[in-house]
Amino acid sequence: MSRETFPDPNAADKPKMIRLALIGASGAAEAYGAIQTRLHSASWAVFAPLNDNDSPAGQALGQATTTKSTEALFTEQANDFDAVVIDANPSQAASLAKAATTLGKPTLVGQLPGGLDVLGQAEALLMPAHTWRFLPSIQAVKRSIDAGKLGEPCLLRIHRWLPPESTPESIAERILPDTDLACWMFGGAPEKVWTLQSAANPDYIQFHLGFANDGMAMIDIAGSLPAGDSYFSLSMIGGTGAAYADDHHNMNLLYSGGQPNALRTNQGHADLTGQLQEFVDAISEEREAAVTLADTSRAAAVAAQVIESAQTKQVTEGKECN
Amino acid sequence: MANPEKTFRAGVLSVVKHDYLPRAVAAHPRFELLVVADDADQPDWVHERNQHFADEFGIPYVRDVAKAIAEHDLDLAAVSSEAERHCDLAVRAADAGLHVIADKPMSTRLSECDQLVEAVQRNNIKFLLWNRNYLPALIQAKEVVQSGAIGELHAIHVDFYFSKDAGPPKGARQPGDLPINWLERQIEAHADGSDGGVGIEAMGELQIEGIYPLGYIRMLTGADVRRVFACTATHFHQANVDNNVDDLATVSLELDNGIVGSLCIGRIGAASHPDIGEIKIHAIGSRGGIVITEARPEVSIHYRDQPPLEFKNKRIANENDFLLMDDFARALDTGCEPILNARGGRDIAATVFAAIESGKTGQPVEVTPLK
Repeated sequence: MSRETFPDPNAADKPKMIRLALIGASGAAEAYGAIQTRLHSASWAVFAPLNDNDSPAGQALGQATTTKSTEALFTEQANDFDAVVIDANPSQAASLAKAATTLGKPTLVGQLPGGLDVLGQAEALLMPAHTWRFLPSIQAVKRSIDAGKLGEPCLLRIHRWLPPESTPESIAERILPDTDLACWMFGGAPEKVWTLQSAANPDYIQFHLGFANDGMAMIDIAGSLPAGDSYFSLSMIGGTGAAYADDHHNMNLLYSGGQPNALRTNQGHADLTGQLQEFVDAISEEREAAVTLADTSRAAAVAAQVIESAQTKQVTEGKECN
Repeated sequence: MANPEKTFRAGVLSVVKHDYLPRAVAAHPRFELLVVADDADQPDWVHERNQHFADEFGIPYVRDVAKAIAEHDLDLAAVSSEAERHCDLAVRAADAGLHVIADKPMSTRLSECDQLVEAVQRNNIKFLLWNRNYLPALIQAKEVVQSGAIGELHAIHVDFYFSKDAGPPKGARQPGDLPINWLERQIEAHADGSDGGVGIEAMGELQIEGIYPLGYIRMLTGADVRRVFACTATHFHQANVDNNVDDLATVSLELDNGIVGSLCIGRIGAASHPDIGEIKIHAIGSRGGIVITEARPEVSIHYRDQPPLEFKNKRIANENDFLLMDDFARALDTGCEPILNARGGRDIAATVFAAIESGKTGQPVEVTPLK
């Protein structure tokens, strides 16, 4: 479903408002607070800060109350919300998601660790946060593929360069978004993986994924840009067309003496909005969300194969994720 | 001491495809085109094209290479035949004491490239393999890298997609249709200049065009490629399917000095880009990164009833061909090496052949070093 069109707020058959609880730090409260007016059929009901210091940030969520802890959220205030959004680091996210789904609460959770066994069989809708899929640029490319405009996907090329402050510490976390994008766009796991790392730069990795029907992905990720902005470029070459989502193309210029600076035009919070609306719509429509645990598992498995290939310096045969 | 006023006398040994090479020779004041020559036993279409070029420049066409060389006191040969004859003509010219400028790709056989390197050394002549390293964007890329702005180079990537059609699309062949004949298709393609693969031997995109992006990588890194892992496929064009050659390839590269990189190359169809194609260089170093669009600078031109296949963005200030001839004149004057000499061209060819083999085996392949 396009995340750029919205239902008529006056429609007679509009779904009931879903009350959301947010578990996160101040940054998450501010980010979700900034998009709350864009949200349809849902509103913020409770904020559960991960740390006491984050409590004041709950004001950004408008009418939402701030609870004293996540434990209180799941006990004393369990009836005050319908669904949960969790924005926590991998060490906390899975256990919090488990607690939420055990209560029967649909849950949107980021960031999940690679090992998802702790979650077991979710007792309610569980949507992993793959925010990178909801960038407007990525959505536009995927819609073109799904509409058949590009033909069969043939080559996915990604360059992702990050400054140290934006670079996840673990290689697996670092490469997960792009292994997920590749699997998502090709509709499955790769059959073959080949990885190279730079001896001179441990924060650099490049890998090739070979998909069925001669599909290919070539991805390089660097975590060694100087402090500052990042760079991202994605090209999808299909059998009958191509799509290019490229920061280079979307730069404006700043002249302030010397050589001009390049300013990337912002995609705003559209990724967060799109992901959250998809979560809300999946609840309302009583369907599976666009992103599932199987997607995360698959991407994590491919990330593990990328790392294995780097370590063994061998081509790794892909393994289908069950 | 070389005479900087000397005009070098050039002969064109076959000009059967896009003719930018001999035109570049003719356009430079240090060079003079005197004759077109080819072997007598070539097919009619070859003679026709040679004669056509000779007529345009008001020079004779001689159906005897040795005779043309002997009678015209040539200093150099410009070789623009089918790729499978590049090395033979170049070696013969070198053995006759001529300097050589040859079109790409160097050859369809690595062994012939080795023979050419040996002939160049044996005869102490200069050899230039045609390339695009003097495009304005490449000059800028080289300046940035050499200035140290991104520090020590760690990784380099080139995306090189030509958005051109190459005959009927994949899947066009109907039951009962004969496979497309490669040479006939390439002869047809001469009309729009897309005949870089002309010849009896079919060649994939990696082989036809790979020299350009690998030439960029070689120039910017100063390093040789040691090992490759490649995937090759045929996704777009029926002629490539019928002749079992790639039109899309990805190549992971391991170079000297710990540098890694990649090349993604293909002829992806006219529908897949508003202009000639997406051609970009990405390089990461110890202090930063650079992203270069090879086509720039360019000007956008749009008008009513513009033909759909006319490129809207036109390259400007492109002096690549002239600067290559400047480079070669400098090599002849001073004895220095041209920007892409026989050894460099041979190593690029070796990388291409290793990538083709890797694509077939599904395993990394070491690049064969020059013996």
